[in-house]
Amino acid sequence: MKMKTTAAALAASLGVALLGALPATASAAKDYLVTAARPNLVFVMDAKERKVVKTHTIPNTSLGNSPLTLVPSRDGKVAYVIHNRWETVSGIDLDSGKEVFRAELSGGDIRGKSPFPMDLSPDGKELAVYVNPTQLLPGEYKVMDPYIAIYRTDAGTDAEPVRRLKVPRRVSTLAWSPKGDTLYAFSWDMLKLDPQTGAVKGQHPWRTWKNGDQGEPDTLAVWPQWEQTNVFATPYYVTHANKKPGDPSALRAGIWSLDLETDKVHFKEFENAGVVLFSTVVNPVRRDETYTVYTQLTKVNTKTGKMDRVDLDHTYYNVNVSSDGKELYIGGTQGDIAVYDSATLKRLGNIRTPGGGDQVLTSLRIFQR
Amino acid sequence: MNRLKPLNRKAHQIEAAPNDEAVEKVVSMTAAVAGCATTFDPGWELDPFLGVAGLCQPMEADLYGCADPCWWPAQVPDTLHNYQDWNTGKDDAARDWKALQSVFPK
Repeated sequence: MKMKTTAAALAASLGVALLGALPATASAAKDYLVTAARPNLVFVMDAKERKVVKTHTIPNTSLGNSPLTLVPSRDGKVAYVIHNRWETVSGIDLDSGKEVFRAELSGGDIRGKSPFPMDLSPDGKELAVYVNPTQLLPGEYKVMDPYIAIYRTDAGTDAEPVRRLKVPRRVSTLAWSPKGDTLYAFSWDMLKLDPQTGAVKGQHPWRTWKNGDQGEPDTLAVWPQWEQTNVFATPYYVTHANKKPGDPSALRAGIWSLDLETDKVHFKEFENAGVVLFSTVVNPVRRDETYTVYTQLTKVNTKTGKMDRVDLDHTYYNVNVSSDGKELYIGGTQGDIAVYDSATLKRLGNIRTPGGGDQVLTSLRIFQR
Repeated sequence: MNRLKPLNRKAHQIEAAPNDEAVEKVVSMTAAVAGCATTFDPGWELDPFLGVAGLCQPMEADLYGCADPCWWPAQVPDTLHNYQDWNTGKDDAARDWKALQSVFPK
């Protein structure tokens, strides 16, 4: 009852239509942003208009913990979101707001939580969700092995996994290759899994990465934002053992990327580490250009290492880019999405979240309709 | 057991166990683990480069990003497990921070 009241109040106060379809014609395809915000909102924005065009509520969720990873289908019809203290995944129809998919990760004495990793198969028929289960016994918590739950997206609101894939711990990202034949799991290394069996077909080294005098690199890759290029990219820090103590170049920062179509890895160190870097997106037009955010917006040419940087008005966690490569959309943390020019790094505007709730750790995604 | 009185929650679980198998499942903790993390991880006090310029600005931008994933349970209440309604209804940290209360071990 409380959630219904919240939705009605938001619709009334913001003048937002909860019904009515988004444009579906390809001829006038526009960029739409979709993300989530506290307490239980999934909303769609017209990127160029800087306007929220749809606001939906996630039903039956916790109101004291924010929605997490969000993955839209490639046609922009449904957004899948982890919520309810990471114990539920729902699919929200972005036109009607109806919950068309729901999977509970907990049940009985098992508490299952998904700490970020989730992705859709390219045909939109299957959803992969990384689950950390814990058995709640009377006198102890028994940590169980993690797994990847594969759901059919047409399974409705009582979905059960059609298969479970064995997977190592510490997975922070799941990324399905555009061909559908590989499910990348970013764990100790970037693992290449068979999406049918979970068999490890290969890997790109990360913890086992040997590169001259460098140590084990460090990154925080929990924001999926590769839909404009099919290139996964993340900032990283790495130490160089041959440098003298106190030498600023002993700790370097770089951008590591993996082309999900060609399976090619590229990396480039670009500065001595001194600025916090959280997440990166690749320009779909000038594909050597990447943009990384936290309290600064940093543009790096990953071919030359040339770097530009501006201060942001507050800290943000995630960033995405328009289809023409001209605009950057910067979100996460608080209640606004900032818009920046990708060439000049000048601020162009911003979009407030409906109701002003914080976006916290959710994803900022783009689709075209 | 008639002359023994349970004094804490775990002891109550042993007394309330319906059978021997359930008693076996009541295991004492071997380490003091608070919240979600087993280690103390500085981060709100110093940035990764041992300065303060890299800390979130303002701190409210990161407040729920640390509370909601149980990132630093020693510094920020953990809304994932233990204090699930600490920030319920206070959805804009920059606006609502004054309404947030301290928490104490249950």
